[in-house]
Amino acid sequence: MLLIKRNISTLIKILLIIGFGYFFWLMLKITLEYIPLRADVSFLMIKQTEVGQRSEYLYFFYTHVYTSIFVLLSGFLAILRKDFGLKNFHKNAGKIYIFLILLFAAPSGIYMGIFANGGIVSKISFVILGFLWWFSTFKAYQLARQKKFKEHKQWMWRSFALTISAITLRMWKVIIVYLFHPNPMDVYQIIVWLGWVPNILLIEYLIAKKHI
Amino acid sequence: MKILKLTLISLFTIALVACKKDGKTTDNSKDSLTAKKDSVVVPEVYKEYYGVYTGDFAGKGMITSEDGEQYEGEVYKKISLKINRITKDSVYGQSIVEGNQRPFRGIFNESSKSFVLDEPGNDKYDGRFEVKLNSDSLTGKWNAFNKSAVKAPVKSLKLVKKEFVYNPNFMLNKDNDLIDWENPKNFVEKYTDEETGKTESYTASKNRIASDAVFKVNASTQKLSEKDLKNLRKLDMEIIKNSVFARHGYSFKKATYRNFFEQTDWYIPVSNNVDKDLSPMEKENVALLNRFIKYAEDKYDSFGR
Repeated sequence: MLLIKRNISTLIKILLIIGFGYFFWLMLKITLEYIPLRADVSFLMIKQTEVGQRSEYLYFFYTHVYTSIFVLLSGFLAILRKDFGLKNFHKNAGKIYIFLILLFAAPSGIYMGIFANGGIVSKISFVILGFLWWFSTFKAYQLARQKKFKEHKQWMWRSFALTISAITLRMWKVIIVYLFHPNPMDVYQIIVWLGWVPNILLIEYLIAKKHI
Repeated sequence: MKILKLTLISLFTIALVACKKDGKTTDNSKDSLTAKKDSVVVPEVYKEYYGVYTGDFAGKGMITSEDGEQYEGEVYKKISLKINRITKDSVYGQSIVEGNQRPFRGIFNESSKSFVLDEPGNDKYDGRFEVKLNSDSLTGKWNAFNKSAVKAPVKSLKLVKKEFVYNPNFMLNKDNDLIDWENPKNFVEKYTDEETGKTESYTASKNRIASDAVFKVNASTQKLSEKDLKNLRKLDMEIIKNSVFARHGYSFKKATYRNFFEQTDWYIPVSNNVDKDLSPMEKENVALLNRFIKYAEDKYDSFGR
């Protein structure tokens, strides 16, 4: 019985790893659309108002795009909690993850949230998401320094659940557009919330049930 | 050096061949040249008949019904004949159908008030119009020069003289059909028979429908911002953009837009290129719309934003 249970959990882990690999590949492709750096490509095609009126917008935007892809990767490698034979691998991957979020990805994300598409509904969501992201990552960092590793792990899962919202948000978009064909900004107002709220609820549930 | 020589020779040959091909067109330009010279000498007569005559151009063709069956019937297209100049022995003008604009030249018979007008003949769809004038209407037929090349070598015309005016306020209105019948999307649907419990799948098709934004957003009268377009679907933006061209009398090559604008009483196709007629604001709006249409096309249903 125990053996079956262990097998199932290994299977789920493998599936999650393959799933992440696939979606990371999609995110990488999206990032590559922004190389070389241009002021009017892809998402920026509908953001020319901000690009034109706010000279700092592009700096924040590209900071977010170029760091976030490494946040995804380092966060994923750290959350596996294996050193793969390399000394301090988990620790170093985690350091990169924390450093990039606290200094670059989260602050630039909050800035962009203020000018998000979809009006006040999406702005509020993105700004809350940005602050929670920064806070949960900072908390996890503090707890690791204090060597409270059980709580460190819980806060890291919260942080990573919010990181993964980059992927889940876009998954929801594909699903909702496929099912209902709403207007673009109507979808957007839905996915900005669906992208991260269910993620964090799932993690809170798992923590409450002592799975994490 | 040798290469240079060769290139020069081949270029020369190409130029020669091109000259040969253009033989007919050169004739045309000569025509219009003489016409210009004539205008000094030959007085223009019947100026009151000048203008745009627009209406139905009907010929036999295959029609596809809603359930996909094909049958022969009358196919209606919209045609405009522009009479630019009438002199004692010549008539000059243009015909325009589905974005195909052709010059013609012919004669006007004063006693029977009828025209015989010939298109140049170097296009597959060129032919001869024989039409009769009756106060404001122009009716008659058209015969293709090359009867085997076209599906309907004989067509009938029923035209009415219309004054073409550009009015930036012209728009589609609530009585217009907003369904795009030309781009159906096929998808498979499943159906379960309640009695037998068997599940069968069949292919259904869905057509795009524009929203009432096409009645509200006018790219000829207001400077559009990104905010105005962000929540619009691709078809809406395509209609808003092409309304600008329709107001200027652009003859659409795409059936989708013909179907939308031919429903209105103001749309008169008079030209296959109106780019230079657009106001600076219209040009800016069209550029913005193009960007948003591209974005909608690339991103609306894909993994991304």
